[in-house]
Amino acid sequence: MGLPSSRLWLAIRLPDLPLTALSTDDSETPVVVADKKRTVYVNPVAQRAGVQLDMDITTAQLLSGCEIIERDTAQEQRVLHRLSEQLYHFSPYIDRYCSPVSAQSGLLLEISSCLKLFGGVQGMMQRITTSLNQTPYGFLFGLAHSSRAAWLLSFAAYDIDGNETRTAFLERLYPLPIQLLDDYPAACESLSRMGFNTLGDIARQISHQSLRSFKKRFGHEFTELLAEIFNIDQDFAQNTLFEKPRDTYRPDEWFEDEIQFDYPITTVDQLKPAFENLLTALGDYLRKRQQQCHTIEWRMTDIYRRKASTTVRSDQPQSQWQLLYDLTLIQFENKELPFEVDALRLICRQTLPRQNANHLLDLEQHRRRKSTTADFATTIARLKARLGDAAVYKFGYHDSRVPELTQVAMALAEKSRQDLPDIYQQALRPAWLLDAPEIIEERHQRLYWHGYLTPHVGPERIIGDWWNAPVARDYYLATRQDHLPLWIFFNLYDKRWYVQGVFA
Amino acid sequence: MSTTSSDHPSDASLEQLLLRDDLWLGHSQRFTGRAAIATGHTLLDEQLLHQGWPLGTLIEVCQPQMQGEWLLFAPALLQVSGLIVLLNPPALPFAQAFIQAGFDLDRVLVVKATEKDPFIGCFTELARASVGAVLAWQPAEAISYTELRKCLLSAADGTGLCVMFRPFAAQQQSSPARLRLFTRFIVDGLEVTLFKQTGYLQKQQPQPLVLELPDHWKAAPAYAALDQKTAATKETSPRRLASVTPLRGQ
Repeated sequence: MGLPSSRLWLAIRLPDLPLTALSTDDSETPVVVADKKRTVYVNPVAQRAGVQLDMDITTAQLLSGCEIIERDTAQEQRVLHRLSEQLYHFSPYIDRYCSPVSAQSGLLLEISSCLKLFGGVQGMMQRITTSLNQTPYGFLFGLAHSSRAAWLLSFAAYDIDGNETRTAFLERLYPLPIQLLDDYPAACESLSRMGFNTLGDIARQISHQSLRSFKKRFGHEFTELLAEIFNIDQDFAQNTLFEKPRDTYRPDEWFEDEIQFDYPITTVDQLKPAFENLLTALGDYLRKRQQQCHTIEWRMTDIYRRKASTTVRSDQPQSQWQLLYDLTLIQFENKELPFEVDALRLICRQTLPRQNANHLLDLEQHRRRKSTTADFATTIARLKARLGDAAVYKFGYHDSRVPELTQVAMALAEKSRQDLPDIYQQALRPAWLLDAPEIIEERHQRLYWHGYLTPHVGPERIIGDWWNAPVARDYYLATRQDHLPLWIFFNLYDKRWYVQGVFA
Repeated sequence: MSTTSSDHPSDASLEQLLLRDDLWLGHSQRFTGRAAIATGHTLLDEQLLHQGWPLGTLIEVCQPQMQGEWLLFAPALLQVSGLIVLLNPPALPFAQAFIQAGFDLDRVLVVKATEKDPFIGCFTELARASVGAVLAWQPAEAISYTELRKCLLSAADGTGLCVMFRPFAAQQQSSPARLRLFTRFIVDGLEVTLFKQTGYLQKQQPQPLVLELPDHWKAAPAYAALDQKTAATKETSPRRLASVTPLRGQ
């Protein structure tokens, strides 16, 4: 075993993350977090009542009468992301570790290159502890020569003084039980059966017979793990010439810029140069990063710190500022400024990588003939900015027997369904459908809806939707006294006549 | 007192004014070069100046509520390339009927703008963008001449088919639309009256033309009529003196 690397890893394990990610309420009642009907986290009160990890939730509830909360891994990931952002102040090398088997997760920081800045290991640990104490999450440290070793040492409560050597780390690892390698359950169980109880037993076996026997029995991946834990360089030919590169953490980036005005702004016209200026800066930001954005936020403040914000949304992601400028003007077009604006801020939080758009080589202008919504993206974005997203839509066919249920409004990006079943190809259908069928009065034994109606063509019986709200109707084409053809039906359930469409 | 140029407009400016494409000069045929799209109705094509719906201008259809707009425009819309935008339609366009008629639903867009100002804004935006066709239904609030002119000018900037459906009463009002017509259903079909066509001076009252309704809309003859028909046929058939029924199996 050599000591090839000068790296130092700090593991921060968050043992109660499954619970604290969901709520910060540290109550005195027994609480259990469950995943797939098994307990993955048990709080101390429930533990005292006899509830254990990986227990059936029914048993857990019978034992302690505990509250059962479903695990939310997405929320845990969000917490880990927030903590990564927080710890980025201490090291740029941050890995996330989430056990695939148990509900253990945490962060791994490579700190060797940042020690000088924070006054050694002790100084850094102190600062990290202060920072993490402000969060509701419990945490445990582990320090070692490799990330996996540090993770394992986070399960052992060793004091960290900053003067540990690699030998000391290895000595701390040896007494740890092999059950900590439960990410590889088969190997762990097999080793246990063979009489290996601690990591020290494994280390001794490796020093006698090298790693090859483990590789043969448990595979390459598990051997890699052992090599990393015990700091063994497997590649004797290269002898640690190449170290595994550290992943640099990429913190969240967003665009935010502000213009302070020399005098209070009272009209939208006066804001226009500022809009253009800030959007040009956003355009540069997006171009340099090959990004595009959907949404921007304008935030106005006055000298009394009052705030007002307006969100501008584009249907298609934009990498140029011009359309965003137009959409901004549309948003502000008919608005009065809420106060005298002292500062204008532009914020763009969400960006996405710029897509390489494919353009067909179209020498004969076929595209013009087949133009669709994509060709009018700018116009549509302007309409949406003016009227709202819901006011611009397409419609399509949905398979159903009930006429009003066949009608579906959809977003422009979706593809309309247009395969009308054969039985409806020749059926009599009006061009206009009323929002809801309207009742036809009966006057002097005749049908009346804004005029007397005379049914002419029909009936076409439509029966359907029996599992939900049964429908049985006889449809007719009727002519009103002003000769307007209408689509009417007689409802066989309530014995009433309705008008549902207009032939136009 | 010196005379200003405004008191005596120069001939050049008048000439320039007369050269304007949107100035109606009675029977002037300067407009004949304009693009048009066949209406799909032979009778109507004959009445229209360019044998079709003019493109890149405003067509105004006055009608009491919904009166045969699809019957009138569907054949032309099927030839149009690009998007077909229904601005502020009076009811839901029924997908089944549109598929039957042969429309590509991915090219048909609905825009709801029930207030007048957004309606005018959207119309001008769409007309300028040269979408294939804009079919707009005037909102409840009345539209002024100036606003209609704004729509006309924006339509002239584009190349699409721009139609505005207006209420029945609007035909009495002045409008800058290049083509104005009035439609209503009558017993035999859809009656269409062209009461204004720029470039065509009407010397007498416009004569309405009637477009036939689709066959499947027509009612089957009533029973009484069937009886009469049968009776009529019976009368015309020659009366036989004797009838011979062949016996089978012998």
